[in-house]
Amino acid sequence: MSAAVATALPHGEGLAARRALRDARIRGATLLALGVLSFYFASSAFSTPAIFLFRIYNTGQDRFEVATSVGLLWVIAGLAAALVGALQLWRGATFRWRPWLLVLLVPYVAVILGALLDGTIANLSRVLSGSFELATPLTLGALAGILSERSGMLNIALEGKMLVGACVSVVVGSVVLGATGNMFAATVAGVSAAMVVSGLLGLLLAWLGIRHRVDQIIAGTVINIGAVGITNFLFLRVLGSSPELNTPPNVAAMQLPFLSDIPVLGPLLFSLRPYVYLSIILVIVLTYLIFRTRWGLRLRASGEKPAAAGTVGINVLQIRYRALFFAGLICGLAGSYLPLATAGSFQMQMTAGKGFIALAAMIFGAWHPIGAFAAALVFGFADSAQALLSILGVQVPPQLLNSVPYIITIVVVAGVVGRVRGPASAGQPYEQG
Amino acid sequence: MRALAGLARRALVPGLAVLTALILGAVVIILTDFENLAQIGSDPAGALGAAVGGVFNGYGAMLTGAFGDPERIRLAFEDPNDRTIATAIRPITETLVAATPLIFVGLAVAISFRTGMFNIGGDGQLIVGALGATIVGVGLQTSGLPSLVILALAIAAAILFGGFWGFIPGFLKARTGAHEVITTIMLNYIGAQVVLFALLGPSLRAAGSSQPISKNMSAWVDVPSIISLPAIRLDYGFVASLVMAAAVSWLLFRTTKGYELRAAGFNPTAARYAGMSAGGSMMLGMALSGGLAGMGGGFLVIGATGQLTNDLSGGIGFNAIALALLAGLRPSGVVAAGLLFGALTTGGKVMGIQSGIPFDLLFFIMAMVIMFVAAPGLIRTIWRVKVAKPAPEIASVAPTAPAEPV
Amino acid sequence: MRLELREISKRFPGVLANDKISISVDKGQVLGLLGENGAGKTTLMNILSGLYKPDSGEIVIDDQVRVFGDPHAAIAAGVGMVHQHFMLVPVFDVVEAVALGAEPVSGPFRAFDRAAARNRIVELSEQYKLNVNPDAKIENLPVGVRQRVEILKALYRKSDILVLDEPSAVLTPSETEELFGIIRSLAATGTTIIFITHKLNEVIEVADKIVVLRRGRVAGTADPKTTTRQALANLMVGRDVELIVPKGPAKPGEVVLGIKDLVVRDDRLELAVQGVDLEVRAGEILVIAGVQGNGQTELVEAITGLRTIDSGEITIGGHHVERASPRQVSDLGVAHIPEDRGRDGLIAFMTVAENYILDTYHREPYSRRGIFNLKAVSERATQGVKDFDIRTPSIQTLATALSGGNQQKVVVAREFSVPVQLVIAAQPTRGLDVGSIEYIHRRIVEQRDAGAAIVIVSTELDEVLAVGDRIAVMYDGRIVGILAGDDATLENLGLLMGGAIFGEGTAA
Repeated sequence: MSAAVATALPHGEGLAARRALRDARIRGATLLALGVLSFYFASSAFSTPAIFLFRIYNTGQDRFEVATSVGLLWVIAGLAAALVGALQLWRGATFRWRPWLLVLLVPYVAVILGALLDGTIANLSRVLSGSFELATPLTLGALAGILSERSGMLNIALEGKMLVGACVSVVVGSVVLGATGNMFAATVAGVSAAMVVSGLLGLLLAWLGIRHRVDQIIAGTVINIGAVGITNFLFLRVLGSSPELNTPPNVAAMQLPFLSDIPVLGPLLFSLRPYVYLSIILVIVLTYLIFRTRWGLRLRASGEKPAAAGTVGINVLQIRYRALFFAGLICGLAGSYLPLATAGSFQMQMTAGKGFIALAAMIFGAWHPIGAFAAALVFGFADSAQALLSILGVQVPPQLLNSVPYIITIVVVAGVVGRVRGPASAGQPYEQG
Repeated sequence: MRALAGLARRALVPGLAVLTALILGAVVIILTDFENLAQIGSDPAGALGAAVGGVFNGYGAMLTGAFGDPERIRLAFEDPNDRTIATAIRPITETLVAATPLIFVGLAVAISFRTGMFNIGGDGQLIVGALGATIVGVGLQTSGLPSLVILALAIAAAILFGGFWGFIPGFLKARTGAHEVITTIMLNYIGAQVVLFALLGPSLRAAGSSQPISKNMSAWVDVPSIISLPAIRLDYGFVASLVMAAAVSWLLFRTTKGYELRAAGFNPTAARYAGMSAGGSMMLGMALSGGLAGMGGGFLVIGATGQLTNDLSGGIGFNAIALALLAGLRPSGVVAAGLLFGALTTGGKVMGIQSGIPFDLLFFIMAMVIMFVAAPGLIRTIWRVKVAKPAPEIASVAPTAPAEPV
Repeated sequence: MRLELREISKRFPGVLANDKISISVDKGQVLGLLGENGAGKTTLMNILSGLYKPDSGEIVIDDQVRVFGDPHAAIAAGVGMVHQHFMLVPVFDVVEAVALGAEPVSGPFRAFDRAAARNRIVELSEQYKLNVNPDAKIENLPVGVRQRVEILKALYRKSDILVLDEPSAVLTPSETEELFGIIRSLAATGTTIIFITHKLNEVIEVADKIVVLRRGRVAGTADPKTTTRQALANLMVGRDVELIVPKGPAKPGEVVLGIKDLVVRDDRLELAVQGVDLEVRAGEILVIAGVQGNGQTELVEAITGLRTIDSGEITIGGHHVERASPRQVSDLGVAHIPEDRGRDGLIAFMTVAENYILDTYHREPYSRRGIFNLKAVSERATQGVKDFDIRTPSIQTLATALSGGNQQKVVVAREFSVPVQLVIAAQPTRGLDVGSIEYIHRRIVEQRDAGAAIVIVSTELDEVLAVGDRIAVMYDGRIVGILAGDDATLENLGLLMGGAIFGEGTAA
């Protein structure tokens, strides 16, 4: 963790922490105010019950029930907010508030759900496991973004690469499934093909940016628009008339041996699709590679100060090409998730902005894999809760719920909840002698 | 003569970029022509020939769809009456109808790029602007005001709504450094949801429809037609787009505000040193940009379509980026490129109907156009010509590092 | 190791940067490579460090001919480079920054073996008395320490030949002394050192042998024991230089710029200007001397309205401008020639004419009610180009196509195109050739004689001594002494710049 968290300033260093201190005070006061406001809400909500169900086992109908009142939830949430706010005010700029924010998230999510449900009984097991599922393409996309930007290349083309990956995985998966009937082989073939094609698009992006010095934002836009064009075209011209090409294999949830039998947690955490486990493994592996290995050191140097890397004989451009290729591979994996794991077929523009939301997760996660994963979980939960609410017929306009992830994304990139510093040289071309 | 040579030199890269992109589009058509390609084993020449024939069919349909069928034009000369003339000129007028919003949004993109802002929110600004026009248009249904007055009010609302939708990312960039690429795209999605929400409500929705379609306003408000013939939709919205092109050109190059916008776009620090407000320019540039796109949406919804649907834009925002880059961010170039893209759009739709080649291929072609314009080295390599470096605005949209990496 | 460069030539589009340069230096010797900006020093060193390939000529180390295709080969051959602009990743700590590119690794995934690297760095730091904390973050280190980290980086790679490019540019005199000590001790242990600079007294002090470059060629060699500053200066510029700008005595009038107890913070919110009092009168040139980074930049930004101040007073011609915007300050008749003209003073992709009106465009005759009078713009710009002898194909040429000297002339022409009562010029001659420097100085003196108050910020002692009627030395955010131009010498200026405070008696 070197570039990632800029909020924690050590005491006694020469850097004046005035601005950080001011931010910290605003943050602390806001949280305190939130706590007080929560108590106010609590006063009128004690009569509204909040009943959440959890599945105990994957099989059977046993339910674990948490019954309380919305008022009590408000009190808990308010206490938590006030506590964190007070901690923030007390500790000042050195306070590591990001993890605490996640802690706060739990009671607030519960209370908002409870308030929206207004007494309706909700099964939370599905919502929570759904959060992990829906977070997966965002996590993977954010990892791809982290790899690119840590190397010094802006990557707004995540969206386009995911879209192409989705399309390729469907076509190749369908063909192999039709020819062999083997679900596993078809899945592997589809996913690999998606990864390779996306990887090549990553190389195209790098080539345009490095070799032709195209502005990296424009190069990304080329890929995003081109991806919409080519996949819509294929969908209408080919997949429409040949539905056998749009019948991909399905990646089902996998119950991990032993772990999935743990009560409550089993159905929640260990009965998910392999994609989820894979994405978590990738988060851990990439954290290690970026922050603990020689490759990671050189990658970060390329993104922070390429000239410093170049003058000690490191081939910055090669690092960038490779990073974008690997980012492309991960993007392809992310793209294949959408049709293979959820939709069951390819649909036009099915990424619906997920690539950009992944970028927001990357920023909110401070360019760190674990942070990005946590941020993706928040987005995943928003998505999952929205599905639950619309199933239960809660009186909230669906368009508003649909907009929530996009609004959160804007809030995140605007740095309203705390500014972070990204790789210093991302987006600037580097001239190698 | 010198001016002509200069024009030819400037048009070389854009021209070759469009040509190359069309050729790549043809390659895609051939590669996806599975019916004919299936025969390649038994009859390679025949299969390829048929596939290439498909391209000529498709692009041919595009050409007649955009400019007119020679046969029908001949008929119109032989037997000139309202019906024959209308059939003959309908394609070319439809091209101008399609060009109108493209020119508006193209100008919007050009002005934002000139300010150093990469506005890819044209779609959202257009549709939110159209929503503003629709709210005013529908709201004044029973007001009894003359059509022209309602039109003026509706267009004003379109400008305000679109301008506001553009101002938000400008404000966020100036105040927090939030990258406009992400915020404008998010606002596209949010704008679509807002419009959907408004259309599904009872006040705007067409009577008896459950679809997100507004009432048809043409009964009480319309943009006056230029040619009054049956089935000819060309109206003064097109003229308005030309007027706006002139206005944008005047603003950018003849006024101090335009000078400030351009200075901030190239070098915000130097602009600040010279006493200008770079943040103010960002906000103004984006608001103007959104206003132009919204204006395009207003003319589109009051004029050509008469009613608002949630898929009104049809990707105009994306095409406008290609168009503005192709135009070298010059307003006059935007008009020329807008006409070209209008022809491609109109022709592309006809191509979709007549030859079954989906219209969406155009987005791919547009992407390739952007790529070739932004990387003229590719054109140089492919066509072995000497080309100038791209205009600095295109080589780098944000000449200085963004405040916050994306 | 003995290093020899034989007939090295390198051509860039339009410039022959190195023209058959031959130099040699023995093991343990310190070679002082002297030359003006643009003499070809940096190109030569980039060739030596493998960043550029020479068009012809060879590099010989211990009688072996070497070809450096990339920095790797140069490092392998034992050449270590300390760049003028530090090549350290700011967010890394010292261990990471030093080891980068030569990292010890362990395990199957080539994990960075931080402990091994750290041990070695501690060892070297002690051996050469560099006194560097291996766990400190680079961005938190003062420049002097960063430079030692750079030297550590070279030593870490077992370099036998150490190249230092303008190492004293950002150092205080005492830090420079410290650096010379390190250089001498390195040389004593057998390291071969090439010391690149344009400062005459430094080569005389530290070098065993001096080679002077001029316009890409070797202009001559000298022995530091016998040569003089004047002789070296003549070699450097190829003619007798006048280190003095022709100007009459100052005739100070009314106070134009008044500063009282000014406090300003920098971008990191540290106190950069800590209580400055200053008065500059009409008809005099006040030079603010000092090592870079002692608050001069923030002081200038505060005066010109670019930076909000913490406390204190600033008046220009009697008007309070503590809260004024840059526009308001400029409209009071203040010309500002910014330090980094490429970034702050010009818009590279706008034309010469458009740059000529950059901060006056909103006034008549250029525009009225927001609408340009393009005829007036082009007439005035054409006149400015003529008056200031700006070499440009036309006023419609983009500024980026001009040479550095001509770009600076555009800025100066613009700033002097309207009547001014105060001129603020930060590093007005940095990076310019001798001809342009003289020209710019002459123009500034003209403004003085016309009655303007002039403030020049400079880090170049030669410039300070040549143009200043009064000299204020800034150190650590304070004015530590004000000397009359005639009283100033290299010695007392050097002492002040290093922070030694004189008695009040010397203030003018």
